[in-house]
Amino acid sequence: MIAKFLLAVGLAILMAVTGVSSYVYLGSRQSKVVAPPQKPTAAAPRAQAYMLPGTVYLAQAGALYSYSAGRFHQLTPEVGWTQPALYPDGSHLLAVKRSAFYSDVYELTTYGGVVAQLTNNAAAPRNAWDTGANAWSFYPRLSPDQRTLWMSYDGPKIVGANYFDVDMAVWAVPVGAPIRSGRAWTVANSYTGGDMQPIVVPGGIIYTKYVYDQNGNRTGQLWFTNRAGAAGRALTSTDASCEQPSLSPDGGSLAMICTYQKQVSDLTIASWNGSSIGGLRTMISDQLVAQPTWAPDGSGIGYLAPGGPAAPFQLWFLPKNAYNPPPPPPVPTPSPSPGGPHNGPLPSPTPSPAPVAPVVKPIQVTTNLGFDATSPLAWSA
Amino acid sequence: MTTITLVALAVALSAVAGGFAYFLPAAATALQETGVSANVPSPSPISVLFSPSPSPSPSAVSQGAFTVLLLGSDDDSKFSADHVLTQSMILVRVIPATKQVTMLSIPRDLYVPLSTGGSGKIDGAYSYGGAGAAIATVEQDFGVHIDDYIWVGLLGLIKVIDAIGGIDIVTSNPVMDDYYPADVFSNDPYGYQRIAVLAGPQHLDGIHAMEYVRSRHSDLQSDYGRSKRQQQVLQAIRAKAKLLAPSDVPALATAIGGELKTSFGLSTVAQLVPLAASFDNPDAIRQVLLLPPYARSGAPGGSLTPNWGLILPLVHQYFP
Repeated sequence: MIAKFLLAVGLAILMAVTGVSSYVYLGSRQSKVVAPPQKPTAAAPRAQAYMLPGTVYLAQAGALYSYSAGRFHQLTPEVGWTQPALYPDGSHLLAVKRSAFYSDVYELTTYGGVVAQLTNNAAAPRNAWDTGANAWSFYPRLSPDQRTLWMSYDGPKIVGANYFDVDMAVWAVPVGAPIRSGRAWTVANSYTGGDMQPIVVPGGIIYTKYVYDQNGNRTGQLWFTNRAGAAGRALTSTDASCEQPSLSPDGGSLAMICTYQKQVSDLTIASWNGSSIGGLRTMISDQLVAQPTWAPDGSGIGYLAPGGPAAPFQLWFLPKNAYNPPPPPPVPTPSPSPGGPHNGPLPSPTPSPAPVAPVVKPIQVTTNLGFDATSPLAWSA
Repeated sequence: MTTITLVALAVALSAVAGGFAYFLPAAATALQETGVSANVPSPSPISVLFSPSPSPSPSAVSQGAFTVLLLGSDDDSKFSADHVLTQSMILVRVIPATKQVTMLSIPRDLYVPLSTGGSGKIDGAYSYGGAGAAIATVEQDFGVHIDDYIWVGLLGLIKVIDAIGGIDIVTSNPVMDDYYPADVFSNDPYGYQRIAVLAGPQHLDGIHAMEYVRSRHSDLQSDYGRSKRQQQVLQAIRAKAKLLAPSDVPALATAIGGELKTSFGLSTVAQLVPLAASFDNPDAIRQVLLLPPYARSGAPGGSLTPNWGLILPLVHQYFP
C-alpha cells in the first residue's frame, strides 16, 4: 500500500516536472529574431571584437553611447537623444533631443553632460487641435570655425500656410543665437520632406535633397550649394537615389548610400574635387548600409547595417584596403641566367600571373544591439 | 502494466500536456480568428454593367492559384466595432506553382457601386456590411473572384510588427506630418500629433511602421503614395516572418489576439506558412497601383473616379 502511494506521489512529481520542463523547453526554442536588442553597455564584449581607432558616438533607443577601446559607455539617459556630431576641434558634441512634437539641438560634453540648448523649437498651439507651431531640428553640424550651426529645420511655421506641407530646409544659424538670426540656405521641394543631413565642405555644403522624379517617385539626391538661397546643383541622379553623405578626412572622397529606388542600400564612394564628384563606386551591395562615416585616421569606413536578415542595425567597419587596395608588388623581370654564351634563341619568359588582391570583407563590430540607423556616427581620433 | 510502462506513459503524457499548454494561446487565437467566413451577398444588378464576377479559370485552379483581399482598418474609438472604414485594400494573387505574387492596391477613395446598394467610396463597403460586403464590392466592380480575406486593425499591425521583432525598411524620403491622427494610444480620438519618419534604411517597430504606412498629408500622391508604402511594409513583414520558429507562434498569437480576422481555415494557414517561406525572390512580387489615368480626382466628396476602361483589362491581366 505504502509502495503504491509512494509510486503515485513520485509519478505526480515526475509528471509535473516533465510538463513544466516541456513548456520551458518550447519557450526557450523561440527564435532570436524576435528578441529585443541588448543595451550596448549590457552586451559583454566579444573576445574577438574589432577595435576601432578613436571614439565612435552612436545612438540607440534615445540614448547616446561612446565606443572606444572595444567598450561602450552610455552618455545620456534614454530620453530621445540622437544624431551626435562632433565639434570640429573634438572638444564637444552636438546632438538632437527629440520629443513628441519637436526636437532641439544641444551642446554636450563628450561625456554626455548638457552644456547648452542651441535651439528652442517648442511652441504653444495656435488654435484648438493645432500641432504645427512646433518645429523639428535634425542633423546638426558646426562650421570649421565653430561659430555657425548648420541643421535641417522645418520652421518657422506660418499661420494660414498650407499646413499639410512639412518640409525641412538647410539653415545656418550663429551658435547661441535665436533662429530669427539664421538663414535658410536651401529651398525645399514641396511635399518631399525637404533637405536633410547637411555636411560642411570647403566652399559650401553638401546635403540630401528629396525630389519627385519624372515618374512621380520621391527619391534622394546629393546636392551642393555655396550660397544661401542659390539653387545649387545636383551631384547624383534621381535614379541612383543617393543620400547620407560623408567627406573623407583628406577631403578628396565622399561616402554615401545609394538605394536605386529599391529596398536596397549600397555603400558607395566617389571622388570629390571641391565642386563635382567622380563616378559612383559600389563597395557593398549585399547589406542594408546606413550612415557611412570615414574613420578620422583614414583607415576605413564605419557604418550601420543589420546583423542578419531583417534584424536591427549593428556597427560595421570596412577597412581601407577594400576600396583602396595597396598597389600590387612589382612583377619580377626575368634576368639572364648565369653561365656561358648561349647560341640558341633566348627562351621567352613565361609571364607570372598577376597577383590577385585578397578580397577584403566588412567586419561586424557589434552583435545583438539595435542602433538608430537614422542617426549619423560621430567619430573622433 | 509494469511500473516502467506506467512511468514512460506518465512522462509522455505530461510532456504532451506541457506542449499543449504552451501552444494553447495560439490554438485559442487561431480557432477564434481563423475561419471567420464572410457573408458575401449576391452581386447587385449594377455590377453587370462593369463585369460579371468570373469563376477562377481552370488553368489557375490547376496551378493552385488563389486570390486574397487584405483589408486594413482604422479601428480606433471613433468607430464602433465592425463598422470601420478600410483605409487599405490590397488584392493579392498568389500562384504557388510559379512562386509569383501580384499585389494590387485599390485606392480607398475610389467612387464605386457598393454591393450593399448605391455608390460611395470603396472604403465604406466594410463599414456597411463587414468583410462580405467589401469582398462582394471588389468582386462585382473589378470582376475578380476572391477566395479569402484577411482583416487587420491598426493595433493589429503594430502588435504584429512588434511581435516579430520589428522590420527593416528603406524609406525613400522623410515622411513628415503635422496633422497625423493621435487616435491609437490617446483618450481623444480626434486629436493630432506630429510625426517625422526620417529617410533611409532603418529598423522600425510597430508604432513607427504604422506612422510610415498611415501618413498621407505630406505626400503629393496622397493615397497612392501611401499604398506604395503599405506594400513595402507588407513585404518587410513577410521577409521577417520567414525567419520565425514554431515556438514563436504562441507569443505572436497572444500579441495579435482580437486584431486580426481571416476566412482562412486552420488547415489552410498551416499550408500557407511553408508556402510563404518558399517565396524568396523579391522580383517575383509584382506591385500594381491604380495611379492616374486609372483613377482621377473629381468624384463626389473628394473621391476618385475610376476609369474602368483601363482598370478592368489591367486587373484581368493579373487576376484572371
